[in-house]
Amino acid sequence: MNNHDEFLDSIAVYALGSLPKSEAAAARAHLRTCAQCRAEYDALRPAVDALALSAEACIDGRSGPVPSPLLRARVLRTVRQESRTPTIAPSRLRPSWPAMVVAAAAILLAVWTTAANLMLRSDLTQTHDQLAQLQAQNTNLNRRLAAQKIMIAEVMDTNAKRFPVNGGEVVKRNDHVYIAMDGMPMPPKGHVYQAWTEHTGAQKMSPSITFMPDRSGVALVSLPVNASAIAAVAVSVEPEGGSKAPTTKPEFVVKLT
Amino acid sequence: MERVRQRDGAAFELLYDDYHRLVYGIALRILGDVPAAEDVTQAVFLKLWSSPQSFAKGNFAAWIARVTRNRALDVVRSRSVRLQSDVPDTMPADDALEDHAFAMLDAEFVRSALARLPEDQRKPIELGFFGALTHEEIARRTGIPLGTIKTRIRTGLRKLRAQLDGVVTA
Repeated sequence: MNNHDEFLDSIAVYALGSLPKSEAAAARAHLRTCAQCRAEYDALRPAVDALALSAEACIDGRSGPVPSPLLRARVLRTVRQESRTPTIAPSRLRPSWPAMVVAAAAILLAVWTTAANLMLRSDLTQTHDQLAQLQAQNTNLNRRLAAQKIMIAEVMDTNAKRFPVNGGEVVKRNDHVYIAMDGMPMPPKGHVYQAWTEHTGAQKMSPSITFMPDRSGVALVSLPVNASAIAAVAVSVEPEGGSKAPTTKPEFVVKLT
Repeated sequence: MERVRQRDGAAFELLYDDYHRLVYGIALRILGDVPAAEDVTQAVFLKLWSSPQSFAKGNFAAWIARVTRNRALDVVRSRSVRLQSDVPDTMPADDALEDHAFAMLDAEFVRSALARLPEDQRKPIELGFFGALTHEEIARRTGIPLGTIKTRIRTGLRKLRAQLDGVVTA
């Protein structure tokens, strides 16, 4: 290794930031006059900058500790204070009238700005609340969509047992029972459809969930029962909120055997 | 940064949210204790708020990383019983950094690039950068000759640079 190679090694150490002060000055001076070492330094510097990035704390703490939220509050408290109340150096001299007018205007402006700021903050809080509500709705819709997808997959499954009824079918797959209707008319105003289930060996129907078809008359519902314990399913029109026993003639009654 | 220069507190808040993990991560790696790392993080951001003009141009992440390392080295110095001449020199944070593709890198990518370096090259690089040791201290601590340490640092950095090529263009 020649002397200049040793210099290049020192330049790498300088780029890393590990040269002691006593040698760093010489390295800096050399960089100003040596194109080869400057090129080496420029080539290595992005690698050193990238090294810093490897220390970044992961947002969820998987790759290192996450800074405390209290730290954020501490830093931003100072910034907010300074952001809102610019400091004005007090004058030793008695203020002249124009200065007092300017000061009064500044105070009015500050009051107005504070009021506007408070209103904006209130709007911001409201917007945050609305956003949170929308996110909750979105999560809820996604859950319902996922549940619908599962239901459709189960109903379409070739291994499912199907029991045709007027306007649709009752589908039994594994432990689940589904009512899948197409072209179901809307019930009279103030009424809903209600499902009924007859447990094996029972003498009467038990009330199950209420439901409505969509505007195209499609209804797909999963009954909250274990299919193996159910002997029959029925659907009737009932007042909103459902009934304890059928109050109208069932639209259909189907045995699941 | 332009909005921060105009004393826009909301813009500063966004800046803090984007970079505090980087700043804190570097400070913690160098100092090794949470309160000191938090103090450095706070100092770096408040300094930025009070003197936003200290960042002139180039890549902000690379700049704030250097400022943080320098600040953490100040703390190391204040704790240290070492001679001042033995403490690593600070990197010039106002050195005009090219606006290379630093922003396109992520921590995970760099960590895996670093992990692919041979141990004997990675270790002196990490001791130098995060351990705040000079090349001589690294040589003493590892029992490896000084010349070898310097060569390994250079070789390791070149390999790291090669891995970043295509992502980083200087």
